[in-house]
Amino acid sequence: MNQTNSPEAQDIARRLVAYEAGAGSAPGANTPAAFRVSEKLRRPLSTLAGATGFRALLARALMLAKREDHSLSAVCVKPDGSLEGLKEPNDDDAEEPGVALIAQLLRLLVAFIGEALTTRLVQDIWSDLSFNLTNPGEANRHDPTR
Amino acid sequence: MTRQDKVIIQKLPTGVPGLDEILGGGLPQFSFNIIAGAPGCGKTTLAHQFVFANATPERPALYFTVLGEPALKMLRYQQQYTFFNVSKLNSSVRFIDLSEILIHRGFAGILDEIAKDVEAASPSIVVVDSFRTVVRGAHDNEMEIQVFVQRLGLLLTALEATTFLIGEYAESELRDNPVFTVADGLFWLYQIVERNSIVRKLQIMKLRGQTSVPGMHTFRITDAGVQAFSRTLGLTGRPRKMPGQKRLSIGIPQLDEMLGGGIPEGDSLLIAGSSGTGKSLLAAQFIAAGIRQGEPGIVAVFEERPDEYAGRASSFGLDLDTPLHDGSLQVIYLRPLDLSVDETMQEILDAIRKTGARRLVIDSLAGFEMALAPGFRTDFREFLYWMIFALTGIGITILSTLEMEETFTEFPVSSYSISFLTDDIIRLRYVEIEGQLRKIPTIIKMRGGAHSKDIREYEITSKGVIIGERLTDYDHLITGIPRRSDRSEPKE
Repeated sequence: MNQTNSPEAQDIARRLVAYEAGAGSAPGANTPAAFRVSEKLRRPLSTLAGATGFRALLARALMLAKREDHSLSAVCVKPDGSLEGLKEPNDDDAEEPGVALIAQLLRLLVAFIGEALTTRLVQDIWSDLSFNLTNPGEANRHDPTR
Repeated sequence: MTRQDKVIIQKLPTGVPGLDEILGGGLPQFSFNIIAGAPGCGKTTLAHQFVFANATPERPALYFTVLGEPALKMLRYQQQYTFFNVSKLNSSVRFIDLSEILIHRGFAGILDEIAKDVEAASPSIVVVDSFRTVVRGAHDNEMEIQVFVQRLGLLLTALEATTFLIGEYAESELRDNPVFTVADGLFWLYQIVERNSIVRKLQIMKLRGQTSVPGMHTFRITDAGVQAFSRTLGLTGRPRKMPGQKRLSIGIPQLDEMLGGGIPEGDSLLIAGSSGTGKSLLAAQFIAAGIRQGEPGIVAVFEERPDEYAGRASSFGLDLDTPLHDGSLQVIYLRPLDLSVDETMQEILDAIRKTGARRLVIDSLAGFEMALAPGFRTDFREFLYWMIFALTGIGITILSTLEMEETFTEFPVSSYSISFLTDDIIRLRYVEIEGQLRKIPTIIKMRGGAHSKDIREYEITSKGVIIGERLTDYDHLITGIPRRSDRSEPKE
């Protein structure tokens, strides 16, 4: 099975992280944007897979993402399923840190439950964004992350 | 208490074809049900069908998983079924994993969590899967289990929800486990291996408030999920059609005459004979005669495909292609080796409803029996009895063929001893006459009245079966080795 991130998952992860980064005044805005994305996914995924199940998914996604993004080397998953250890972004970064992690998490979800259900889960959380894991170009071009 | 005073129990559709009928119309609303059985027998799939058939955004379904398969894995596999509607996820159907709650807070925590979620969502359906793991977790305290289950049942029922507990139980637990006492409905699923075939059956062991069809019902799991086949297929309780005076032509005027004017409508006719005696041809002529008179028909074949069947009929001048295409004829080819009798019957009934058929051919009974899964073959006679009784009861005229070994010392009527199941019997057999193997039909039995006692010769021609003259010059014809009679000896 291909464990590298798909362009579709990468694109959606990038948009989710950018969206959360742009929500500067929201509660928890002082935590890294990728952590906020993970945190928002934690609740519905824990409902489906249990807290242990979600933690296992996230740990797996993190292990795979570390191969792609060395800035994640200090990140770890805490027993409650939250994340810690992400470095602050700097101007040299090509994109927000943690995009690879979120993309891997989405890729794992797609592998387990398929694109349709994953899209639905994500869409339920970020209802003002539009997603299409099969063809991201079909998503709403007017959403604020584009 | 008058009828008006009684509470009316609404019945919910199960979403499982055939199961509403078995349940006596559907699932009693607000009932507390257990779906039990061994692993892999379809419990979770059955529950999902209930859920997707009934959940709405206003009255969603809550699906709790405890220590069994986590919901994420369940979603992975259940979405393969056609009933699974992705758009219902989270809005109408919500999955909640309770494994952490059980580990950290025990029974009380589970009850609290279910109560809290049920109160918040006001669901119409609640499923707890897999319940056995919960019970087993505290098996050393029976009273605690009983109290827990009763509280859960009362809680869920009081909250206007129809609830399901799914569990892996052994039948030996039926007597001792308090959970079965509390339940309003008890669905038991079985998966039985018979030689190389797997047969799935379900039984409604208990259903409070309404009358279900008793006994074991076959079910199958396909891409569409569970499909159940009622033992009675909804044919019980229907008034039997009173036999009329109408006679149906078999398509051969001379044979109609021998039958006393044709086959009485609603009769079951058996044509028995050895290979090559023309049983299938007679059956095809019977169907073709009906089509010509505007009576749709069905042919159930087990040894050849529909196009082959129609092609063979055309070589005898019978046009079955046209009715096959215009829908007045349906040829059902039943795939061999793993059929259950119930689903076979369902397929025939569906075809009858679709075509409005008045005539049914089963060609042949031996092929039919061979097509069944081994476990059903022992019940074949009972099934035939039930099928013939049910179908003739709604006015269908059935013609079955039966392959028989030719013997030249006996005249057996039926090797299956099923002759008592049929109203009328025609026996076809070979006779040796003047160095030729010739054929005779004999009308053995006509329950509806008088019939010809003649023994006539018949031939199979390109125009079908042609009945010839009575063979008056021979005795002992039915032995197969006749003797020229004294009457026919030339006078000196």
